[in-house]
Amino acid sequence: MKIFLSLLFFSQLIFSELVLEITKGSEDPYSIALIEFSGSKKITNEINSIINADLIRTGEFKIFRESQLLSTPTNEEDIKFEDFKLLGIDFIITGSLINEDKFNVSASYQVFNVQKETKIRTSKVFGIPNKLRQLAHYISDGIYEEISGLKGVASTKLLYVTENINDDKTIFKLVVADADGSNEQTLLKSSEPIISPSWSPDSKQVAYVSFETGIAKVFIQKIATGKREMVLENSSQISSPSWSPNGKFLSLTLYQDGNAEIYILNLKNQNLTRLTNHYAIDTESSWSPNGSKIMFTSGRSGSPQLYEINLRKFSSKPKRITFDGNYNAKGSYLSSGEGIVFVHRAEKNFQIALKYTNESFIRPLTNSKLDESPSISPNGNVIIYAVTEDGMSMLSGVTLSGAKFRLPARTGEVREPSWSGFLR
Amino acid sequence: MINIKNVPNKNFFSTFVFLILLSSCSSMNVTEESVYDGGIQTVEASVKDNISVNYETKAILANATVYFEFDSFKLSSKSIQTLRSAVTAMKENSSIKITISGHADERGTREYNLALGQRRAESVRDYLAVNGVNKSRVLVKSYGEERLIAEGSDESSHSKNRRAEIN
Repeated sequence: MKIFLSLLFFSQLIFSELVLEITKGSEDPYSIALIEFSGSKKITNEINSIINADLIRTGEFKIFRESQLLSTPTNEEDIKFEDFKLLGIDFIITGSLINEDKFNVSASYQVFNVQKETKIRTSKVFGIPNKLRQLAHYISDGIYEEISGLKGVASTKLLYVTENINDDKTIFKLVVADADGSNEQTLLKSSEPIISPSWSPDSKQVAYVSFETGIAKVFIQKIATGKREMVLENSSQISSPSWSPNGKFLSLTLYQDGNAEIYILNLKNQNLTRLTNHYAIDTESSWSPNGSKIMFTSGRSGSPQLYEINLRKFSSKPKRITFDGNYNAKGSYLSSGEGIVFVHRAEKNFQIALKYTNESFIRPLTNSKLDESPSISPNGNVIIYAVTEDGMSMLSGVTLSGAKFRLPARTGEVREPSWSGFLR
Repeated sequence: MINIKNVPNKNFFSTFVFLILLSSCSSMNVTEESVYDGGIQTVEASVKDNISVNYETKAILANATVYFEFDSFKLSSKSIQTLRSAVTAMKENSSIKITISGHADERGTREYNLALGQRRAESVRDYLAVNGVNKSRVLVKSYGEERLIAEGSDESSHSKNRRAEIN
């Protein structure tokens, strides 16, 4: 059954619409009562709606707002657990602003287990007035963490590329935004294409491909200072950067051999190690969570398929890991190491698919015509990807339990999302 | 006690995060943390086409576009017909230098398409080389699916985008 939920939330100066399309949430969602935070309405209204949207987006909660509840206690003593048991609610969330002046906005919140009739968490978050959204995301993550046992990703960031046409000129931008798509900030602006952005493991730097010199070249840029440098200055095309989990190496696709081959660059001493050697295309490398393997796309079988190289074994041969269909590309590993997510061609459509290592079949996660660029959240539970429909591209997300959401629609094209690590 | 009175309200990372996990009793989490949110610096790429060749006006004589099948970089017989006249122009005008840029349609992944565009451009360069055009006169590059000339999502648009351009 399809449930369409849409909600409007107020975001600083602009209204942006977040459409949440939950096609199949978790089969057994947690029912939670979200009591409005107390404190000045101007601030709590925004906090309440951001927390609500953050929790819906996880796909793991059935949320009861005040109008659906039998009682709405604002402090612990007033809670009548019976009122919540009757509605089948598992957890109650209460909260309030505790401090608010020119420099500080702080909030506290509590999580109660209805069955056990006990408080299971009490937390304080200290923030600053112009970072109200972040304060709310921190609260959402604390709630999610307490109930699901997984770290939340509401306080993480997304990196992506936008393309807009202004006065007949095409402008490409590399943009950072909150995980809900708000709070967009531009890292790089260029009149030439930007592709393949990715975060360093500490989320302080990004690597990407820019065509500003006339051909594809890889750059590394520090987020806070904007300081950027070209990786490997030579005359040939370089592309597809991917950071090793320890941040010391960057795998790259080099074209200096006259064909796309994967190399590993030691960022400290600039040493290059060649990883692949084949006349077919080898590109789109990505590292396993413990850094012991590299997965890549290769055309060596006659069509793009995913292969894996074990870095710990001397001269290990690439092992093919996808066999379904004639197009499986741009793979990335789940952070649990239990499987991979990639782009799969099914009939005429390109979809995001999941394959667990211990299963012989693949699981399609999306079903539109042209879905690309999957990137996995740091908690391993959500995949953000680009959807192209009617010539427009935008970002969508899908959780491993199947809940889907879409980030706010915007003008122009949005593509190639990359999810940061944990920032909280 | 956490004092954040002096946190400047400016656009840079408040680089400290406090996460104090105290378990006051066996079943309850008590946490305190401060919001960490970074500032961001915007930069603009200075675009300069510093590795393109110096064009001769005569280079236009060698201009040509050839088309490819999906996920293929094989030259069709029609493409070879087209390239013959480029070879002739290159031989008759020994000062001409050319750029061959390879392209892909919007389907498939961007990096694979970048590599595919490169292979398409190289197929053209290799044909020219076999027919006596020195590789030093040819610059090869790929735009993958970043420079579509037909915006539609039908096969007729796709087939126009899967190309290598000599200019």
